[in-house]
Amino acid sequence: MKLLVSGSAIRGLPVVTIDGGEDVAEVRDVIYQPEAGRVVGLTLNKRGFLAGRRSEVLPAETIQAIGRDAVMVADERSLVPPDDAPGEVGAPPSGRDVIGNEVLTEAGASLGRVKDVIVLVGSNGEVVGYEVETPSGGTAYIPLPSQLAVSGSALVVPEATQDFVEDDLVGLGAAVDEFRRRLGI
Amino acid sequence: MSDRFTAALGRKVVSRTSAEELGELARLIVDVKRRQVTSLVVGKGRKAVVVDWAQVTGFGPDAVMVADEGALHQPRDDHEHDAADGKLELLGKRVLSDMGNELGEAGDVVFDPASGAVETLVVGEREVPAASLLGAGSFAVVVKAPAE
Repeated sequence: MKLLVSGSAIRGLPVVTIDGGEDVAEVRDVIYQPEAGRVVGLTLNKRGFLAGRRSEVLPAETIQAIGRDAVMVADERSLVPPDDAPGEVGAPPSGRDVIGNEVLTEAGASLGRVKDVIVLVGSNGEVVGYEVETPSGGTAYIPLPSQLAVSGSALVVPEATQDFVEDDLVGLGAAVDEFRRRLGI
Repeated sequence: MSDRFTAALGRKVVSRTSAEELGELARLIVDVKRRQVTSLVVGKGRKAVVVDWAQVTGFGPDAVMVADEGALHQPRDDHEHDAADGKLELLGKRVLSDMGNELGEAGDVVFDPASGAVETLVVGEREVPAASLLGAGSFAVVVKAPAE
């Protein structure tokens, strides 16, 4: 059973140093790379009342863990200027936002449109599923294989995904392992 | 025998030389990385003074003994001012695991009154061993994630 958190719930979490116990920033946005199926980094705001944007970014490889209550980093040096970050974090390609994309099975059935990405709690940005708005207007959660085809407007998921559509995050947390086992990955 | 912060607070601080009561123990300051009580704050507010742990001659169940009044000093640097102002207070502080999950508030600290060594941090029902303490600052105490 996996603990999961949505991408939108990560926004606003404090970024805390393990070494110093200080909240050095808070999460402004999640940089998601759909081809890799993972969060590659976070953009940041300053902490505090008059919080503005922080120019530094947080590449996923310097994140110790994305938790329910905080994003943990070793120390403040984990926050780097965009120029020093990997390209997909420092200057993410535009027009690759997965939100709003249609999710199609390999057989051509639409499972809905992506509303949010679902991140594994305790990882440094592993995305295990999507929250989708179903064709009938409801909300559902679908697990993801670790890799999948993405075009920019649609993504194609294995046929088996249909058997693992869940109503809530708890259900998805229970379904992810079994889904990936079924796919043999 | 271990002692606890919540039990020790309010204990009188007494000069061994004059047997005079010099004040009440208001705070215990911990170096989380060394897992050690490093100083005591005696008195509160503007009257707060600091005693280095090395100046404590006996941390007893009824009184904290120091050599004489000279063991107490005004805060000398930023760290000691922060200590006296309560900015380094562990009790009541948010406790986060290194996995980013909040475990609760630091409710108590169990320590060895002979050495000042911190033994456990009490967080709700949970006792976090000193070896799991990773860091502490104004926002939180960070501890190694307990096995769930």
